[in-house]
Amino acid sequence: MNCADVEILLCDYVDGTLAPVERAAVERHLAECRNCAELARDGAAAVEFMERAETVEPPQELISQILFDPPWRHQRAGWFRRVLHPLLEPRFAMGMALTVLSFAMIMPKVHQFQPTDLSPAVVWAGVEGRVDRLWERTEKFYDNLKFIYQIRATLREWQQQSADTRTQPGAGASTTEQHRLPASSAEPNPAAGHSRTP
Amino acid sequence: MATAAVGLGNTGWIGNQAAARDAAGVRRLDPESSIVARCLSGDETAWEQFVRTHTRQVYALCYRFTGSGTEAQDLTQEVFLRVFRTLKTFRSSEGSLNTWLARLTRNLLIDHYRRTRQDRATDSIEDRLPVIEEHGPVTRPDQVLAGREASAVLQAALEKLSPDLREAVILRDLQEMEYREIAQVLDIPEGTVKSRINRGRAELGRLLRNRKLAV
Repeated sequence: MNCADVEILLCDYVDGTLAPVERAAVERHLAECRNCAELARDGAAAVEFMERAETVEPPQELISQILFDPPWRHQRAGWFRRVLHPLLEPRFAMGMALTVLSFAMIMPKVHQFQPTDLSPAVVWAGVEGRVDRLWERTEKFYDNLKFIYQIRATLREWQQQSADTRTQPGAGASTTEQHRLPASSAEPNPAAGHSRTP
Repeated sequence: MATAAVGLGNTGWIGNQAAARDAAGVRRLDPESSIVARCLSGDETAWEQFVRTHTRQVYALCYRFTGSGTEAQDLTQEVFLRVFRTLKTFRSSEGSLNTWLARLTRNLLIDHYRRTRQDRATDSIEDRLPVIEEHGPVTRPDQVLAGREASAVLQAALEKLSPDLREAVILRDLQEMEYREIAQVLDIPEGTVKSRINRGRAELGRLLRNRKLAV
């Protein structure tokens, strides 16, 4: 029997559960091998000391605590706690409270929201008013565009007329008269293509 | 048969109390599976019985591993919380309830050990040394220490072992488990269990011998 064989049997030897034949073989090896003998002696001493040591008893209140705070309570509140847990952290909650307070102090007085504001008639009137205002604003925008285009077209025409007058000084008055008149009827209405007035 | 009944029994704690008392179904199970099945079906008396029976084992394991009463109490509560969540995975065919519970506790202890490694790195060994010296009166080499005193000395010595050796020795010599069961708890071969226990015991014996407390 070598040291490796003894190592396997040593636990049972120290426990005193080895068969007599194996026990005798182990003891023969221990008598010859100093290292294994020391291992066995220390092991047996440790086991003997542990037997002397008092067993550990839980405090009485521990059982009450476990029974008083049963696990199913944790399970029920589990998902709710998990969702709220980050929000309920004292630091985060304090930060949120201060933010809300700061905004409340900075923000101007706004219209006090009341339950009557939620009635369909009030909501519809609000929406209608907004649509009307938006439509008027759009219409005015296109009218303004049309007016500016007409002014620019007239100015360009006058410039053209003055240029023609300079290049043809001997031209007849009738021709000049024709050029002076803004050919509004002959001109295609430039805004017509853009007009989207209803 | 027993396994199937346990597996299907998870209908909620407070739920169907009538189903919990389906005596015909429960009676066919072995005692461990029976109490598990009753717990799973919402029988609060069964849960109380389960807690009362196993708190001692769980607390002792936690205390011997951590060396702190407060930590052991917190961990014990956490173990029972975890037991509740995973009780449906218990199969009596795969081992006893004690083994299952020891494995669950041990896994939690290892998690806790890894989590708190940084904290311990600064204070553990040096803080514990005086405990041995305090309880190791060199002038009384062959005295018989009182059980409580021996327990405190043992605790200080255990904390000097590596976690691998410590858990093996605790499970064998303080929880009195079989080698086969320890192999299941630690999920290692039985030969490795014996090797660890040999080394753990020898290391512990050496520590105690150096303090002239053992031998």
